[in-house]
Amino acid sequence: MNLKHPCISVVLLLFLFSSGAMHAQSNEGSSFDQSKFVPDIAFILDASAVARDIKDQQYYSLTTPGVTFPFLTERGSSGASAHRGMNFNYGELSLYSVVDPYFDLFAVIGLSPESAGLEEAYFSSRKLPYGLKLKAGKFLSSFGRVNEQHEHFWDFSNRPLIAAALFGEEGLNEIGAQMTWVAPTSYYLVFGAEVLNGENQQSFGTTGFIRPTDGAAVDAVQGPNLYVGFVRSSIDIGDASILFGVSDAFGKTRADQSVSSIVPTHEAVDANTNIIGVNLTMKYSLDAIRFISFQSEYMHRSIDGTLYTTGPADEAIMPNLEKRHSGMYAQAVAMLDQRWEAGLRYDLLMQNDVTTGGIDQHQPSQLPRYSAMIEYYPTEFSRFRLQLDRDESLFVPTATGVSRRPYTQIVLQANLAIGAHGAHAF
Amino acid sequence: MKFVKFILPLLLMFMQTALSSQLHVVATYGYIGDIVQRIGKDKVEVVALARGDYNPHVIVPKPSYIAKLRGADLLVINGGQLEIGWLPQIIRQANNGNVQSGAKGFLDLSKYVHLIDVPSSVSREMGDVHPEGNPHFFLDPDNLPIIAKAITDRLSELDPENRSFYEANNNDLTNQWKQKVKTWEEKLKPLKGEKIVEYHRIFDYFLRRFGFTIVATIEPLPGIPPTTKHIADVERMIGSEHVKYILQDVYNPQDASQYLAKRLNVKVLILPHDVGAVKEADNVFNVFEEIVRRLTNG
Repeated sequence: MNLKHPCISVVLLLFLFSSGAMHAQSNEGSSFDQSKFVPDIAFILDASAVARDIKDQQYYSLTTPGVTFPFLTERGSSGASAHRGMNFNYGELSLYSVVDPYFDLFAVIGLSPESAGLEEAYFSSRKLPYGLKLKAGKFLSSFGRVNEQHEHFWDFSNRPLIAAALFGEEGLNEIGAQMTWVAPTSYYLVFGAEVLNGENQQSFGTTGFIRPTDGAAVDAVQGPNLYVGFVRSSIDIGDASILFGVSDAFGKTRADQSVSSIVPTHEAVDANTNIIGVNLTMKYSLDAIRFISFQSEYMHRSIDGTLYTTGPADEAIMPNLEKRHSGMYAQAVAMLDQRWEAGLRYDLLMQNDVTTGGIDQHQPSQLPRYSAMIEYYPTEFSRFRLQLDRDESLFVPTATGVSRRPYTQIVLQANLAIGAHGAHAF
Repeated sequence: MKFVKFILPLLLMFMQTALSSQLHVVATYGYIGDIVQRIGKDKVEVVALARGDYNPHVIVPKPSYIAKLRGADLLVINGGQLEIGWLPQIIRQANNGNVQSGAKGFLDLSKYVHLIDVPSSVSREMGDVHPEGNPHFFLDPDNLPIIAKAITDRLSELDPENRSFYEANNNDLTNQWKQKVKTWEEKLKPLKGEKIVEYHRIFDYFLRRFGFTIVATIEPLPGIPPTTKHIADVERMIGSEHVKYILQDVYNPQDASQYLAKRLNVKVLILPHDVGAVKEADNVFNVFEEIVRRLTNG
């Protein structure tokens, strides 16, 4: 067959394809029917309307000097509800199925109007003995409490300040493997260890660079670069459940501003970073419907290494870099009746000590944010949240340095889910 | 020394679980736990997870449940998607291959009984519908022998040495049960054909078995709280159909039922749906005894 016009061949192909599909349809329920093996599929949509007393451009340029690291110094337009007016925050397509008697497979595809990205995709074992489970692929680290939770599970529309400062608006989401062991105790006790690539730009990173001081090469870190360990335990006192956890993450921080550049000077960092986290969650059921819950996390990061930069006379220098950051949040949420929930949250960036070459850089510390929310659930598949934030943790660049720019925002958020019924974790 | 102090209790606890020859059984609801206990007696150690007076659809997935499931030889669930909102995560986090769905140590009771009201099509515009049918099958007393048999067979499969022990206990239970069902039937005879309204379709199995007619539900759709308009419709139906009783479970809000009771000549009866739902319903027999007592006293 000799076809002159490509259009004709496309039409022909389509015809062949559709006749094939029709043929398949007439064979429904036949010997080779696979429809029963379709995985559980769910789609979640999240959108919001935002009013904020700061213009978008200025909002994107907000920063917490010394904390955001290493070169992504601006807040930027990342994260949910970033623009005034209407926001399409995300679409999330999730797939789950048992692979075979030995494995489960999960995948979460994050969708924006322009792009699709694999947020998580991992398999986990079903049958390892002795209370062990292996999970591997790309996943949200189990460091702390809020990090491994998907956004639609949160009680507030934004990530706690300290979690966003240390891991970014996307959280600590890495390629790697995790092993957990549930201890054979009468109370809940689990130990976990993760080996990850450690590419998180907010605290870690593997990029190699040329030292501006002497032109010598600092090689890229060969993976794995990040190790996470955690312990969680829980006890029940009457109808109250208390969950307590301690986590630690350590890895190398290697970053070059030419990769993620906003500041026009050549800077690079080679350091070791350790982050510890402590978390506490309490949930108390008042009756079959109403409950009150309290959740709090504390995180501390220490970075020790060398900063490669230029001095006041434009000469190349390489002072020691020492950073200590800590912060916490505490939130209380109450389920008031079948359809209403309300909560308060207090965020605080506590410590912000930056020392270069032994000199304290006097960065601002003790920076708070206050949030309040009320949520309405028509059913468990749809919910609407009204949240008020007063954020006093951010600064705008000025000619002489930075100046504090508190802002207030109101977010009306809608979150709806279709498809497979998601089971909730504690 | 510190090390010994920390490790010793851990080891002791480990040995406790390892040494006992009993089968460790976890049941999602109290009624299942009670049946397992009656068949397994001292050969099993049973824990029931959900509180009997809470909404069986929405149970808080406490981390302590993970610890209970970690060492279990058998998990017995109601099924029919009653546990779908809270149990799957618990199973995943328990790291116990014995009780994963499809394993020998996983028993879904809904697979053994006939479920009523299986929808021919499902859509969430119908509220929180269960595609496999109404999952509250325990409240048909004729289903208990079927459930008990399924549990007996599974216990025997996991612990073949005690097969005759489990079977004998099952026979005793079933005979005793059948006797009781006769007395309940006798007591409920005068109420046959009585028209009732219930809050949620939780007592359907019981009501059908004993010949009641269900006229309406206080919920407009499963899982959706009552609206003023719907309550007005129910009020009209109670009047025109001469309904005498509104059956209410222990966990849903009672304001709509009490409102109707105040306005019309209709009585609200609070009935247990599971072991532990009310104080008197402390075992499977007493769940039904109490339902019958409250209906006949009403």
